[in-house]
Amino acid sequence: MRNSNSKIEIGHGSGGKLTRDLIEKVFLKYLNSEELKPLEDAAYINLKNQHTAITTDSYVVRPLFFPGGNIGKLSICGTVNDLAVSGAKPRYLSIGFILEEGFPIESLEDIVKSISETSKNAGVSIVTGDTKVVEKNKCDGVYINTTGVGEIIKPLSLNNISAGDAVIITGTIGDHGTAIALARNEFDIKAPVVSDCAPLTDLIMPVFEIDGLKWMRDPTRGGVSTVLAELSDITGLGVEIFEAQVPVRDDVRFISDMLGYDPLYLANEGKAIIIASSESADTIVSILKKHPLGKNAAIIGNISSEFRRARLKTTIGGERLLDMLEEDMLPRIC
Amino acid sequence: MDKVKGIIKLIHSLVPDNKNIRIMNVCGSHEHTIAFSGMRSLMPENLEIIPGPGCPVCVCPESDIINAINLSKREDVILVTYGDMLRVPTQKGSIRTEGKNFRMITSPFEAINIAKSNTDRKIIFFSIGFETTTAPTAGILEMGVPENLFILSSHRLTPTIMEILVKDAEIGIDGFIAPGHVSAIVGTNAWNVFSEKYGIPTVVAGFEAGNLLLGILEILRQLKNGKAETSNVYKGVVKPEGNMQAQKLMDKYFEVANVNWRGIGYIPGSGLELREKYSWKDARIVFELEEVKETKIPGCICGTIVLGKAYPSACKLFRKACTPKTPKGPCMVSMEGSCNIWYKTL
Repeated sequence: MRNSNSKIEIGHGSGGKLTRDLIEKVFLKYLNSEELKPLEDAAYINLKNQHTAITTDSYVVRPLFFPGGNIGKLSICGTVNDLAVSGAKPRYLSIGFILEEGFPIESLEDIVKSISETSKNAGVSIVTGDTKVVEKNKCDGVYINTTGVGEIIKPLSLNNISAGDAVIITGTIGDHGTAIALARNEFDIKAPVVSDCAPLTDLIMPVFEIDGLKWMRDPTRGGVSTVLAELSDITGLGVEIFEAQVPVRDDVRFISDMLGYDPLYLANEGKAIIIASSESADTIVSILKKHPLGKNAAIIGNISSEFRRARLKTTIGGERLLDMLEEDMLPRIC
Repeated sequence: MDKVKGIIKLIHSLVPDNKNIRIMNVCGSHEHTIAFSGMRSLMPENLEIIPGPGCPVCVCPESDIINAINLSKREDVILVTYGDMLRVPTQKGSIRTEGKNFRMITSPFEAINIAKSNTDRKIIFFSIGFETTTAPTAGILEMGVPENLFILSSHRLTPTIMEILVKDAEIGIDGFIAPGHVSAIVGTNAWNVFSEKYGIPTVVAGFEAGNLLLGILEILRQLKNGKAETSNVYKGVVKPEGNMQAQKLMDKYFEVANVNWRGIGYIPGSGLELREKYSWKDARIVFELEEVKETKIPGCICGTIVLGKAYPSACKLFRKACTPKTPKGPCMVSMEGSCNIWYKTL
């Protein structure tokens, strides 16, 4: 089926022969877990642990292919990371495709190939799936939904957080948002910024074993600022972040300055914010730094009961508010 | 960072205890740096840094925007303009919500490309802003633009509005931080009038917090010595005479006009229109645009904020009815608007 002329036809979503063809020649070619192969209406999965985490997410990123990834890779990372930051080991994924009539099957194969590679890296099996086709111009190429199931290893809750805890970030912020902004070619800027899109399972799971770990969240849409403002809002605690300690790539900072973005509000797809007791923070950072995805991990602030809201101590020593993202400057970022 | 700490310490030592000092910036990017660096939280209590008219989108007349919306509804037209302009609210909605054929551009050169690839359409470049954006528009006119490209000029002049502010006793300005980008075009000489005629220290500064602090320090030093000068702490970029080539081109294509500032009113000699010689490129003339009567946005005090007579936080709508998602007035829309900047940082 890998032929540059083949395109998605309405019949590929019929549930009939063409659908079967697509499943066998594209999806099963790359996705072949034991649970998926029987192609039954539901997959039987084996969860040894009774405490299970489940999450779902839909992906509508534009453009579909961007430096550092594509919608397929993103659809695995996003869902896997939601499980991982919930203290769970990601195990099984379902995947649903909404395809636009006329979409090149060659491009679909590239997407499915990424899905296969990324799910292997993330240690998850894709066990069930679905395909629907809509008429031309009724969607933008491909939309994907994934649902993930994971075994809870370290239950985490915002209630665990208390004054004095440290705020840790696992690496540089704003890479994904910047890469997508540039990939849209709406600005006349060329820069080698690559999305950080990556499954965090390997990076984060060793941290589950550290006693002082309180809570985690992956700062996707709305960025670090939105996560911390939300944390403060729900817990009633203050969050203070030190700008000088927040890792930002030079080119991301430069482009943000030019476009009027703030890296603290830009999306990430391969980073986690970790809240941990101050005693355990250094240990966690040193564990993170051992993994390539965590080489820029840093303690960037702390939790306080002296004030409410999230605020930034700037490099010149001034203070400003960190809020939830209000205007979505980059819609369809994931 | 020690250098910055040193400057802040000196600033504190130069502000007299018994007097309020009011320094105005007239550039959205300056206000952005000041707010995002939390600079005000580091200043002595009796030193105010006031955001002035630094947001071109905020002062663009409602009439021009409504005309732009209407033009974009014509099948034979594509309206092109800068991103912020698309979202500015009017009584008839914004270009984004009510317009039909419009595109966002980041530089006038893109307007040329759009015109070249759409020869069956009339491309109208809604060209707004202060001297910084006027220069590139003059630049493309000099290069020669395609026949189907027209200019809807809504350009404004910084020195003229600053002089209005100086004369307004209600504002009471002790010093100006002159805009870095505008100064690169007009030169520091354009500001001499403020130090020489009005005795107001005026300092051209760049966009880094440290450089702006240095500018504030320079104003305070002059105030202490009782001697007003025009100084420049952004020397790498700004020259006394400015960019003569740009000035020459601006003068070739544009002439000074009496224009309306949204929420403020008509100010003599404060805007630029295309010279009569180029009226065949002037969208106002070619498309016979008529002025639409400006409406007042209930409760919105954008005009007062632009003039530095009130802080965004003094507006009853601020953070309540008016947010970046539901902007009532132009100052909440633009990334250079004081309300938008304060919303995100305060």
